[in-house]
Amino acid sequence: MASATESSVVRGDTSTYETIAALTVGLAAVLFFLGLAATVEVVSITGTLAGLPTLTALGLLLVIMGVAVAGFGLISYRGIFPTDPRASAGVVAGGLFSSLWGLIGALVAAETLGLGVVGGVAGGLVLGALAFFATALPREDIGSTLPAGALAVFFGLVFLLGVVGPEWSWSPANFPSSQSVTFFAATVAPFAVMASSLVVGWAAAKAYGGFGARGRHLGAYLLVYLNAVSIIAVLIALVAFVVFKGFGPVTEGVEIGLGVGPATTIGLFGFGFDVVWPVSWPFLTNGASLFTDITGVFPAIVGTIWLVIGAVVLSVPLGVGAAIFLTEYAEQGRFTNVVEIATNALWSTPSIVFGLFGAAFLVPRFTPQPQKSLLSGMITLGFMLLPLVVITAREAMIAVPDEYRDASAALGVSRWQTIRSVVLPAAMPGVVTGVILGVGRIAGETAPLLLTMGGGSFVGAGQRAKVLDGFQLSLSPPFVTNPELTQATTALPYQLYQVILTGTGQTAGVNDVTAFGWGTALVLLGVVLAFYAVGIATRQYFRSKLTYE
Amino acid sequence: MATNKQRDSDGWQSRLASRFARFAEFVQDTDNDAVAVGALGALSLVGAFVGFLVTSPYTSVFLAGFLVAVAYGWVRHQELAARGVTLAMTVSTVVILALISFFIFYEAWPILADRSGTVFGVPIPGLELFTTTAWTPAEASPKYSMLPMIQGTVLVTIIATAVAGPLGVAAALFISEIAPAAVREVVKPGVEILAGIPSIVFGFLGFTVLSPWASDAFSLVGQGTYLFVGIVVGLMALPTVVSVAEDAINSVPESMKSGSLALGTTDWQTMTAVTIPTAFSGVSAAVLLGVGRAIGETMAATVMLRNTPRVAEPLYNVFYGFDTLTSLIAANYGSSSGFQKDALFVAGCILFVSVLALSIGSQLIERRMDRKVGGVE
Repeated sequence: MASATESSVVRGDTSTYETIAALTVGLAAVLFFLGLAATVEVVSITGTLAGLPTLTALGLLLVIMGVAVAGFGLISYRGIFPTDPRASAGVVAGGLFSSLWGLIGALVAAETLGLGVVGGVAGGLVLGALAFFATALPREDIGSTLPAGALAVFFGLVFLLGVVGPEWSWSPANFPSSQSVTFFAATVAPFAVMASSLVVGWAAAKAYGGFGARGRHLGAYLLVYLNAVSIIAVLIALVAFVVFKGFGPVTEGVEIGLGVGPATTIGLFGFGFDVVWPVSWPFLTNGASLFTDITGVFPAIVGTIWLVIGAVVLSVPLGVGAAIFLTEYAEQGRFTNVVEIATNALWSTPSIVFGLFGAAFLVPRFTPQPQKSLLSGMITLGFMLLPLVVITAREAMIAVPDEYRDASAALGVSRWQTIRSVVLPAAMPGVVTGVILGVGRIAGETAPLLLTMGGGSFVGAGQRAKVLDGFQLSLSPPFVTNPELTQATTALPYQLYQVILTGTGQTAGVNDVTAFGWGTALVLLGVVLAFYAVGIATRQYFRSKLTYE
Repeated sequence: MATNKQRDSDGWQSRLASRFARFAEFVQDTDNDAVAVGALGALSLVGAFVGFLVTSPYTSVFLAGFLVAVAYGWVRHQELAARGVTLAMTVSTVVILALISFFIFYEAWPILADRSGTVFGVPIPGLELFTTTAWTPAEASPKYSMLPMIQGTVLVTIIATAVAGPLGVAAALFISEIAPAAVREVVKPGVEILAGIPSIVFGFLGFTVLSPWASDAFSLVGQGTYLFVGIVVGLMALPTVVSVAEDAINSVPESMKSGSLALGTTDWQTMTAVTIPTAFSGVSAAVLLGVGRAIGETMAATVMLRNTPRVAEPLYNVFYGFDTLTSLIAANYGSSSGFQKDALFVAGCILFVSVLALSIGSQLIERRMDRKVGGVE
C-alpha cells in the first residue's frame, strides 16, 4: 500500500487519467462560479449561455461531469488505472450523501409523485438509505464517486429534459396562503448546480489523488481551502459593498484647501485664536438640519466618542485591578475559579440583556424622572467591556513568567512594587490589545443603546452631547451635575438603526435616507475597523518583538 | 473530593473562626491609621453603593469619601492600599455580575407571578406564557406568549449553527494546521475583522439588499425570513467558533501530531485521527459558544424580521420570519409598559439562562480537555 502511494507521488509525468480528473475539478470550479453568478443574476437562467438556453447548457455540463466522475470510479475499480482505494468511503461521506439523496427522495416522492407527507418521508428514507449503503458498503473508489456522479447526472437530466424549465415553479401545498413560498427555477437551479459541483469537485479531487490516504487528503484540502477563500471573499465583498455604496454620500461636498473648513476658536490666557481647518467635510461636521445642504453624522460621532471614553474609563481600571487581585494576590482556588467562569459567562451574555439591565437598574437612578441618558449608555457599555478586560488582563498576567516575579522579589522589594514595575509592564501589550479589540466591539454595539441611551432620530449639530461644557457645581448634594450626561443622545450605530426605522425617502431635512444610511454605515464601519486594525497591528508588533528579541 | 466535602461540612464554623482570628491578627499588626483609613474607605464604598441603589443625592459624598481614603492610603501605605483597592475592584466586578442576574429576574417577576399555572396542583410561575401561542398586548385581555419568539430563536439558531459550525471548524483547522504562514497572516486577522463588523451594519445590508431579494426570489408575502437572518447570524457567530476552536486545536501537543506523521500518515490523516479527536471537546465547546452568540444576536434579527409575533406555519417554515426573543425586546421596549415590559424581561431571562448554561457548559468541557491534554488525568 505504501509503495503504491509512493510510486504515484514520485511519478514525474501525469497520466491521462489524472489529467482528466484535474480537468474535472476545474470544470466543477467553473460550474460553481456559474451557479454563483446565476444567484446574483449575472447569468440569467431564462437567457442563453454559449448559444444554448442556460439551463440546457448547465444540465449538459452537469451530465458530462457526473459521467466523468462515475467513470473514474469504474476505471479505478476495474484496475485499469492503478489507485490505492480503501475498503469503504467512510461513514462521514455516507452520511452526507444519504442526507442529500434523502432530501431529493422526499421531495420527489411527496410532490412529483404526489404521495403526500407519509410518502415523502418514506421516499426520503428509502433513497437516503440506498445512498448510504451505496457509499459506505462498496470499495472507496466506487462509494465516493458513483453517488456523487449520479447526483450531478440527476440534476443535469432534470434540466436537460426540461422537467425543470426556465419557467418552472413550485409552491408547497401545506403552507398557509398568508405564509406561502414559491420556488422558481431561477432561484433553485443555481443552488442545485453549486451543490452538485461541490460534490463532484470533491469526488474528482479524490480520484486525482488516486483515492486512499492521498485522495482523501486532496479532497478534504480542496474543501477546506475553498471554505477559507470564501470566508475571506465574503468579508471583502461586505466591506467593499459598504464602501462602494457609502463613499458617495460620505464624501459629498468635501473641499480641501486653505480656509475652506469650519473655524475653531482656541482660547488661551484670555486670547482667542480662530483656527480655520484646511478641510471641509460636511458629512462628518454637520448634523441634521433644514438649513444645511448635506446632512451629516457629527452628533452621532460625538456620542460614540463619549460612549467609548466613558466605557473605557469605567471598565479598564476596574478590570485590570480585579485581574491583578485575582492573579497576584488571591489564592488560586475555588474563588478565582468561580470568578473566572462568571466573567466568561458574562462576556457571552447577549448585549440586549445588558440593555435590559441598564434600563432597569441605571436609567431610573440619575434623574428624578427615569430617562435614557448618555451616562446610562456609558456604564452599560462599560459593564459589557468589563469581563473582556478582566479576561485579557488575567491572561496577559498569567503569561508573565514566574521567574520575573522571583527575580524582583529576590531584590527585596515588596509585592506591589513587583506588580507595578515588573508584572504590569510585561503584561501591558496583551492588555492594550485586548482593550482596543473590545472597544472596537462595543463601539458598534446597538442593542443596549436602544434601551438605555438613544433619543432623537435625526439630531442637529447643536444638540450634540457637550459634556465638557455641561458640568455645573452647586452647594447642595450631589454638588456636581451635568445635564448633558443625564439626557438622551445619539451614537453612530443608533443613528443607523433610526435610518432603518425611517425606511426610505425624504424626512426632516434628509434628502435621501437610504444614501444617508449607507454613509452612516461606512463611517461606523470605518471607526470600528480602525480600532480592529490598530489592535491587530499592536499585537503583531509586540509579538514580533517577543519573537525576535 | 468526598473527604474534602466532609471536612467542609464538619469544620465551616472553625474555619470561619480561624478566618476571624487571622483578620484580628492582621488588624493588630497593621498601623492604626491604615486600619482606620481602610475601614473608612470600605464603609464609604458600601455607602456609595447603597446611596446609588436608593437614588440618594449623597452618593457623591460617599464616593468622595472613598476617593479621599484611597488617596491617603496610597500616600502612606501603598502596599496595603493597592491590595485593598484591587480587592474592592474584584468585589465590585462580582457584585455587578450578581446585580445583572438579580435585576433581570426581579423585573420579570410580576408577570411570572400573575400568569402562573398549576400542574398537578403545583403552581408554576409564568406557565401561562408557554401554553398559548398568542402575543396580543393591545387586546382587552392581553396575552403574552413566548412561544412564537422561541420558535424564531430556535430556527435562527439552528440555521446559524449549521452555517457557523462546519465552516468555523474547517476554518480553524485551516488556520492552525493547514495554511502556510503567509496565508495564515491574512486569514486570521480577516476572521477577526469579520467579528468586528457591527451587527447593525450586517442588519442594514440584510434589510436593504437581502430581504427584498429573498422576498422577490421566493415570492413571499412581505419581507423577513428566518432563513436569511439565520445565515447572517451564522456569519456573525463564525469568528467566535473559529477563534475558540483554533485555541483548542492549537493546544493539542505537537508531539502527538509528530508521532502520527512519523508513521507515514498524510497531514489529513493526522488531523482526522489525532488532532480532531484530541481537540474534540474543545471544538465542541467552540460550537456551543457559537450557538450562544447566535441566540443572543439582536440587531440583525431586529431589522430583518417583521416584528409581529406569530407562529410560522408549518413549524419548519423558515421563509417567514416574525420575531426572535432578542428582536422582541429591541423592537418593543421603547413603547411598552406594565406587563408587556415585564414580559420582555421574561424573554431576557430565557436568553440569559440559556446562554449562561451554554457558556458554563462549554467552559467545563474546555477545562476537561485542558486536564486531559495537560496529562493530569
